[in-house]
Amino acid sequence: MDFLISQNYVNYVCQCGLLKPLTNLYFCRHCLNLRCSFCCHHEVDSHFCRNCLENIPSSEAKLRKNKCNSCFDCPSCSFSVLSARATTIQVPMTVKEKQEGEESSTTTSEASSGKMVAKKMYYLACLACRYSSRDVGISDQASQNFCWPEQEYMHANRFNTILNYYQALVLHDKQVKQDEKRRKTTNKSKFQSMTDRTGLNVSAIRRQMGFDKTVSKPKNKPASILPSMTEEVEELSEDIFTKPINLKNITTIEQRFTQPANQPESVKHLYPQHKNLSIKRSIRCRHCEHNVIKPEYNPTSIKYRIQQFASSHVPEVRIIKCYPLMPNKSAFITLKLTNPTMNDMTITIMELPTDDEEVMMIDEMKKNFESLTVSSKSSLMRPSLIEDPRIVSCKPTAKLELPDSSFVINQRDDSAEFDDEIQTDKKDPKFVIWRKANKIAIELSITPNDLKVNDEVIVGFTMHYTYSTVPSTTAEKKDSQQRHALNARVYLNVGNIVDYSTK
Amino acid sequence: MEICDTYYSKDEFVETASGNKVNRQTVLCGSQNIVLHGKVIVDKGAIIRGDLANVRTGRYCIISKNAVIRPPFKQFSKGVAFFPLHIGDHVYIGENSVISAASIGSYVYIGKNAVIGRRCVIKDCSIIEDGAILPPETTLASFMKFTKEGKIEGGQGTESVPPAMLDLMVDFTKSFYEHFIPSTH
Ligand SMILES: [Zn+2]
Ligand SMILES: [Zn+2]
Ligand SMILES: [Zn+2]
Ligand SMILES: [Zn+2]
Repeated sequence: MDFLISQNYVNYVCQCGLLKPLTNLYFCRHCLNLRCSFCCHHEVDSHFCRNCLENIPSSEAKLRKNKCNSCFDCPSCSFSVLSARATTIQVPMTVKEKQEGEESSTTTSEASSGKMVAKKMYYLACLACRYSSRDVGISDQASQNFCWPEQEYMHANRFNTILNYYQALVLHDKQVKQDEKRRKTTNKSKFQSMTDRTGLNVSAIRRQMGFDKTVSKPKNKPASILPSMTEEVEELSEDIFTKPINLKNITTIEQRFTQPANQPESVKHLYPQHKNLSIKRSIRCRHCEHNVIKPEYNPTSIKYRIQQFASSHVPEVRIIKCYPLMPNKSAFITLKLTNPTMNDMTITIMELPTDDEEVMMIDEMKKNFESLTVSSKSSLMRPSLIEDPRIVSCKPTAKLELPDSSFVINQRDDSAEFDDEIQTDKKDPKFVIWRKANKIAIELSITPNDLKVNDEVIVGFTMHYTYSTVPSTTAEKKDSQQRHALNARVYLNVGNIVDYSTK
Repeated sequence: MEICDTYYSKDEFVETASGNKVNRQTVLCGSQNIVLHGKVIVDKGAIIRGDLANVRTGRYCIISKNAVIRPPFKQFSKGVAFFPLHIGDHVYIGENSVISAASIGSYVYIGKNAVIGRRCVIKDCSIIEDGAILPPETTLASFMKFTKEGKIEGGQGTESVPPAMLDLMVDFTKSFYEHFIPSTH
């Protein structure tokens, strides 16, 4: 439960060399390696509004500029969502309302009383900072949804012109490219596949470099737009240095950044902002292009269609206790290991690789990537996208006495959850304290280095474990199960050196 | 870190047939309106205002010391009305927190000293940090975290809330319950 406490005590080394708690790691079943969100591809699966929880198709999200139509953020505190508040005002009854009032006099009982009629009006208010749409002079609206006046932007026209121009240009370029391709099909360049992947083709590169002459005359090149004018800039008024300012009326940088198109200077221009959409994403392994996570589209669903959490494949290590922590004195550490899989695991605890060994491991991994990217022609990914593994930044400050033998953790058995019997196995080596279903507790000894009081004591080890791939379909026989020997490097922060001499 | 055993004195707690463990020094107003769905711990000093409206919790909820569960009200032109408060399964509510939400989903972690304003909607698998204050009528979507600075962070696929939040909360609340044992002396 490391996430409940801000500090992580047990960290695993991801394939990319970053230290992460097991709960934030994924396990790619195809590469049989740990992955984290840093070394994986993130893909947007679906858009939704995190306030009204409406799912918005991506094409529509694009049209709406990734904003929700019906929800507004508070422009003043920018944390909170504005909610519609209702008020009733007295308005003179119009002829039309008179007729309605007569027809449905039961529902609007007040309508019949005199010439004034109560009408429900809405305004937007922030319940965190008390901002309201009335503050900036937006009149109350008769309906709660969709009818709030849209803010006008000074440069909206200019941006539209530019957008249209570049869209036309892209279309034009595409046409040129197609013509080019048709002409060149007979003598295919050997670099074409390479450049296609980067989104550039030969003609585009040539055009960029200025070798435009070989390209046939462009057809109907869109009329170029006027460059923005460098208008005369007004002189600053003299009183800018002398006039006292009221900071309460001036917006903060944060408030301005929430409205990038306008960036108002005065709080009088803080208009309600449409809420930005949130996304659901799937995460993909960069090496084999398989998903490690794929969520359901529904915004309120917490289910996954694919989920490869490391916590359900890799044995979990937890610290039960560790004492006494004194420099150069041996201490006992009790660890609890859990096997989350449906197969027995054999675990061997070994030393961490030395610095030289780590460099060698990284070199080998890099070589593997290269061979992998060369062999897979269909790969969408370029080798540069694969994160280079790095050396682990954390250095242990204590020495761990390695256990002299390996041990087995039983498989997970969901039906055995309720019998809490502590089993003892005579065959178990001495350092095993107890075992309970798929859990085991071991006691090892550590010796902190020559540290000062309050220094962190960090121990690390390589956990060698056997992992059996589960047949993915029921049609596959059980003997298709394969056993693998995998390694995970684990770093434990067992606590700080305590000064026992004063006690 | 492994969860340590929490010992309680048998005289202080009432254990029901469904496994709820309720401290005697709690204020459960309108207890006929309070439904605890089993294996729920209500610790010392907690207040549940069942007299205002129905309060229902799922299984394996932990309501820590001095937490206040108070159904939300809504103001109408002719007075106020209280609405029921539903809490899902495997929810942890930290010490001194005040909950006035309309609903709290399952697998939710609420830190200590948090205030959840009236009629908030907290969806499944979300985290509320220690000391966070949610303004009234806030919606916290799944896999989002409400920080004590007042920001909503993260989302599915980020590291603010662990992707395996469901399994984590199930494991946490279950082992909390299992380690909540009567002292033997
Ligand atoms: Zn990584
Ligand atoms: Zn919305
Ligand atoms: Zn506000
Ligand atoms: Zn992979």
